[in-house]
Order: sequence, then structure tokens, then C-alpha cells
Amino acid sequence: MRVLILGGAARLGPHVIRALEGEHTLRVTDISPVETPHEYRRVDVADPDDVHRAAEGMDAIVNCTVVREDGQAAFDVNARGCYNMLRAAVAHGIPRVLNTGPHFTIAGRSYTAFDYEIGPDVPPHPSTYLYALSKGLGQEICKVFTENHDVHVLCFLFYDFQDHDAPTVGLNHPFAISWRDAAEAIRLGLSVDLATLPSRCEVFNIFADLPHQRFSNEKNKRLLGFTPQDRLEAMWRRR
Amino acid sequence: MNILITSAASALAQDLARAFSTDHSVHLTDVVDVALPWPFTRCALGHDAATADLVAGVDALIHLAEPPPDYASETEESANRLLDFHTRCTYNLLLAASEAGVARCVYTSSLSLFANIFDEVGCGEDWAVDERWRPRPSTEPPVLARHLGEFVCREFAREGRIAVTCLRLGNVGQPGGRAAPPDDPTWLAHTDAVHAFERALAAPAEPWAIYHVQSAFPGARFSSARARDALGFAPDRSSGGEA
Repeated sequence: MRVLILGGAARLGPHVIRALEGEHTLRVTDISPVETPHEYRRVDVADPDDVHRAAEGMDAIVNCTVVREDGQAAFDVNARGCYNMLRAAVAHGIPRVLNTGPHFTIAGRSYTAFDYEIGPDVPPHPSTYLYALSKGLGQEICKVFTENHDVHVLCFLFYDFQDHDAPTVGLNHPFAISWRDAAEAIRLGLSVDLATLPSRCEVFNIFADLPHQRFSNEKNKRLLGFTPQDRLEAMWRRR
Repeated sequence: MNILITSAASALAQDLARAFSTDHSVHLTDVVDVALPWPFTRCALGHDAATADLVAGVDALIHLAEPPPDYASETEESANRLLDFHTRCTYNLLLAASEAGVARCVYTSSLSLFANIFDEVGCGEDWAVDERWRPRPSTEPPVLARHLGEFVCREFAREGRIAVTCLRLGNVGQPGGRAAPPDDPTWLAHTDAVHAFERALAAPAEPWAIYHVQSAFPGARFSSARARDALGFAPDRSSGGEA
């Protein structure tokens, strides 16, 4: 499969590239330079022409772009970047898009301050936090495109990334995943049979198997066959 | 009441200013320069002191979110500007307003969010689509942008930062227009649109409320019954028929 990676220089990008490069032909893009043996193009996802050109000839798009705190760039990248990505996917007939974001793209404080077993299919409450809301807008754009066009979007929600062999002891964030498991989830998202998914827009909570049950990651196992190999137990061990 | 009205260049903004200025203090703003007989401040609605100054002392905000005419071309660049206007600018405006203690906002959305529903299996035009139905926006930028603007407003309302009344307007006619065009089942007379905003600000503020607003005429697609019952919206019936 020919896969366009947007945001290849972002934190998750290099891990995704490593997970995919044995199986797929990659076109790695970012607004910043990327040291890579794969084809590289400079792409600003806020530029519709950049994204349209980069998507030509691709079979799938993986979007790892993110801006957190900048009041202009967060909307440019997290919201309009998704619009430009989906416009390009539709224009080129690309059937599969993998989007990424933090867990509060869907489940903001109005969930996390109150609830348990928060699954990925709850109505989105990203909150007014800039990063969350701009990513929430991006995800909503994805959903609207899937309801109007023949394109699938799988959205992978992450929050805290950890080294599998050295998780941060005592950090105990419930939405944590090792880098390699996060990348493996993306790899599975590229191989899952789209016809087996319940809808053209599916969201997945990607975090390690831990017993807190604040969130639910059951859907990953059921639809993607994804079980994290790193439990990150050290994060929750009492010191 | 001190009322701030956005999109001052639009005819609707100016008619609202005319209507509200008899009993209230009105101030208008736009992202472009406009010559008006009311106080006006040009503001790009950035995340900055200019937007904070704009909302200082305001009691109620009417956010028409009507983009300047040059946003309406069909290029991808224009689509991006439109999305930016409805998302980022709305966010900055509501953020500044909530931080300044502005109590309420009337956000202007559109009944076009439901245009796609008629294409869905089993959802023909004989169905009574009301405010409880989930919008099915298209990906056309003017429609998608309104939908995303609602999304932004809803999060501010959900957190209790500012009360938002969302008026989903039909196709607002030209000022002075008195009859529904034969091919427009969602027509909203200009005078009825102004009346809806008057009623929205006269009613007690709810944390979040949506109202469908269109004129009353035979063949009108949407019901404004909820706006009638909750706000006292009474469209001009001179064109005949019932909503």
C-alpha cells in the first residue's frame, strides 16, 4: 500500500514510520525537514494545494500532525488540516484515512471529571481547551466527510506516550501507551478490512491494558485485533 | 443592555442595530471597515487584546458570523478562510466574551445543516425535522463552517462559560421582501429574522438552546414551533399560511 504520512517529524511520526516501512511504500511529509530513507516532501497541512499534491497516487493517509498551544496554528493544523486532508482524499479517491489526536478530542473534562469506562463512541465533549477543541473540530470534519463521501476515517486517540522499557514510575496517567504499541495500532488500522467496520468513521481509545477502567479500549480488540504488548505497570506501582 | 453585533457589513446586522438601538446601546464590529451611523470597531477577532477590548462591558453578543463577500469564491483557499472564520474567530470571540463576563451570545446558524437529511432513506420531506434531530451537514464550506461554529459554541455553553442561543435561520430574504420565492421552502423574511433576534434577547437565557427559525407560508419546510413557544417568535403572516 502507498501511504502518505502527514506530520512525519512529529513525536509519533518516526515510530509510525518504523512500524510501517517493512510493509508499505511511504511518502513522508512534514512542514519541517525529516531525515528518512523514504520519499520526503515538505507539506504544510494548512495549505490545500500542498496536501492535494502530496496525496496524489496514495492508497491511504496517516495524519500525525499536531499543534497544541498556538492560537492560530492549532486551528490551522488540527482543524483545517483535517479539512484539507479529507478534500484531498476525496479528490484522489483514497478510501482510508487514519487520523490521530489526544483522548480529549472526544472525552474532555465533562467526562473525565465524572465517569468511568469511557468508550470512544460517546458524543464528543472536547471542552474549550484550545488543543482539545481544535482537534475535536478536526475529528468532526472527518465525520462529516465520511457521511457525505465514500471515505473511511479511523481516528486513534492517544495521550501519554511512554518508552516500553522505561515507563515513568508514578506518573499513572490512565491514557498511556508505549510508542511501539501506538505505532502497532496504526499498522493494524492500515490492514483492517474496511468492510468489517460498523461505519465509515470509527474512533479508537489507544492505551495500555491496565485495571483502572477509567476508559475502555475493548473496541480495539474487537475491531482491530489490537492488544497492547506493554502494560506499563510501573506507572501505577506504589513507591 | 450593551449589545455587540458582529458582521456589521451585512444587511441583517444593520437592521438589527436599527431595531435594538431604540432601547439598547449597540456597537458593531466586522473584520473589514464599514461606515455606519452606530459605534463601530474593526476587529480581526484574533486571540489578542483587540478582541478583549471589543467585548469589554458588553452584556449580550449577537454573533452573525456572516463572512465578508470575498470569502465566498469557490476556491480551496476561500474555503479555508471561511472555516477559519467560523472556527477560530468564533472561538476567540467567545473566549474573550466569557473571560469578560458577557452573559449571553446569540449565534447564527442555518437550517441548511439539514439539507442532506432529505436524501437519507426514509427521511422524505414529509418528516417533521425539528431541533431534536442531529444535523447532517454537507461538506460544502458554507454549510460545514456553520456546523463547526455551532460545535465551538456548544462547548462554551456546556462548560457554563457563556449562555448561547443558537438560531438556525432559513434562507434570509432581501430586505423588504414579503413573499416566499416559489423554489425556496426554507425562506425567512428579513423582518422575521430581525424579530427572531429580538425575541431571543428578550427571553431568559438558557445555558444552551437551539431554535429553528423560518417564515410562515404554505410549504414551509421547517417548523418554528419551539421558537414560538419558548421565545414568542411570531412571524409575519401577511404572506399567508401556517408555519
